[in-house]
Amino acid sequence: MSEFQFIKTITRNKTGIITINRPEVYNALNLASKFEIINAIKSYNKDQAIRAIIITGEGKAFCSGQDLNDRTVKPESGKKVDIGHTLITEWNPLIMAIRESEKIVTAAINGVCAGAGLSVALACDLKFAKAGNRFISGFTQIGLTPDAGMDHILVRSMGYSKALEFCLTGKALTSEDMLNYGLLNTIAEDPLASALEMSETIADLAPLSVKTVKNNLQYAQDQHFNNVLEREIATQRYLGNSQDYTEGVTAFLEKRKALFVGK
Amino acid sequence: MSYQHILVQNNFRDHAHIASIQLNRPKVLNALSSAVMNEVVDALWKLEDDMNVRVIILTGDDRAFAAGADIAEMQNDTPIDQIAKNRMRSWNFLTSFSKPIIAAVNGFALGGGCELAMACDMIIAGDKAKFGQPEIKIGTIPGAGGTQRLTRAIGKSKAMYYILTGDMIPADVAFEWGLVAKVVPSDTLLQETYEVAKNIAAKAPIAVKLAKEAVNKSFEMTLKDGLDFERRNFYLTFSSLDQKEGMTAFVEKREAQFKGN
Repeated sequence: MSEFQFIKTITRNKTGIITINRPEVYNALNLASKFEIINAIKSYNKDQAIRAIIITGEGKAFCSGQDLNDRTVKPESGKKVDIGHTLITEWNPLIMAIRESEKIVTAAINGVCAGAGLSVALACDLKFAKAGNRFISGFTQIGLTPDAGMDHILVRSMGYSKALEFCLTGKALTSEDMLNYGLLNTIAEDPLASALEMSETIADLAPLSVKTVKNNLQYAQDQHFNNVLEREIATQRYLGNSQDYTEGVTAFLEKRKALFVGK
Repeated sequence: MSYQHILVQNNFRDHAHIASIQLNRPKVLNALSSAVMNEVVDALWKLEDDMNVRVIILTGDDRAFAAGADIAEMQNDTPIDQIAKNRMRSWNFLTSFSKPIIAAVNGFALGGGCELAMACDMIIAGDKAKFGQPEIKIGTIPGAGGTQRLTRAIGKSKAMYYILTGDMIPADVAFEWGLVAKVVPSDTLLQETYEVAKNIAAKAPIAVKLAKEAVNKSFEMTLKDGLDFERRNFYLTFSSLDQKEGMTAFVEKREAQFKGN
């Protein structure tokens, strides 16, 4: 995948790594870079050999959000901007590409996350960051409100008042705060190494099982208990008919490691 | 008649009483040409005549139930062409069948695809399904029931919004609004539709037909006439052996064995 200008993609075993590569602007995302990430995720989705995805950043930042020099959002004299349009056509498709990927997308948070860059980190399925890393909303400092799904995730983990304080004051949260709120999985010395280790563990699991766990937990966040029970029935019935379930049980009984094929 | 565009199974998943019709033009997202619709209706007539079949599942594939009419087929038509060729003829038959037809929708059900799903007796949708009547975007309007059935399903204001904008309705919203009977994880759509079909196939087939007919009449009649119609169908069930079996089994606290007579 060498067609990318703003990101780098490499493969390690069964993991695809996407590195946002605009260190000169703290990995702010313009229109093209968002679509490069989306396209990279989509091509990993289609690749049977890839079982997990990592997103990380080059340089000091993970991602600092919207590139404010991008033509679509920069207010120029006499011209109105439509940031709603930017969300509909750029940010939300990126967030949804992460959430709807059948593979686990892990954020290896190498540096500061700000604005919608924080939304991207939060949208990832698993998150690893270094001690003392800074997480900033920043939207209210420029007269806006958090977007790209951040509200949904923050208010569920932090509660209303803490989330409100964070969004209004512009004060950074640290990795330690994030860990306390359940917004980080682990504080790691080398987030990319930890993310890779986790991804390789996931890579050995049954892909249909992994995908279903991801979908079902996302569903459970927003649903009543009874609906969750219903979904568990449907998905367990489905997985119970899969080839990998047969392999899983057989391997367990034969006391060997299961070899899952994704069927 | 052997079919080019659809796959028909008389014993879906080896069930003696469940049949399926799958639209099978994946390259064009199951676009509904008149040839496809003729095959669907032909298959439905045959399943209607097959005494073993009690429930019919109509489905597409993962990407689309059906993404609309075959635009290329009608792009340059004049009104006279449309009338003369009577391409929509087969649509008139969709309401002729007495057996319940369940639309199992994954992916897109747009335009004619949405209309076909709505012409079925109920819709079960995968959670990534999207419904819509986008005809307005190409300078025309729904022509196979969209303005009528969508309005009856979700109400005037919402139907108007979606028919005038051509926007798509996601599955969970379609469920909330009553367009869809059940939403299931998209991977499990056929399995879960099969479970619903099994459930219905285990009921008394005559009662199922009479109930379907009465429900559909609610769209055609005043409440008073509909209630009268329902009452007569209710009386009629008492002439069936299955009604005797059903009520006897209930009193005897055992499972009823319905035979379709």
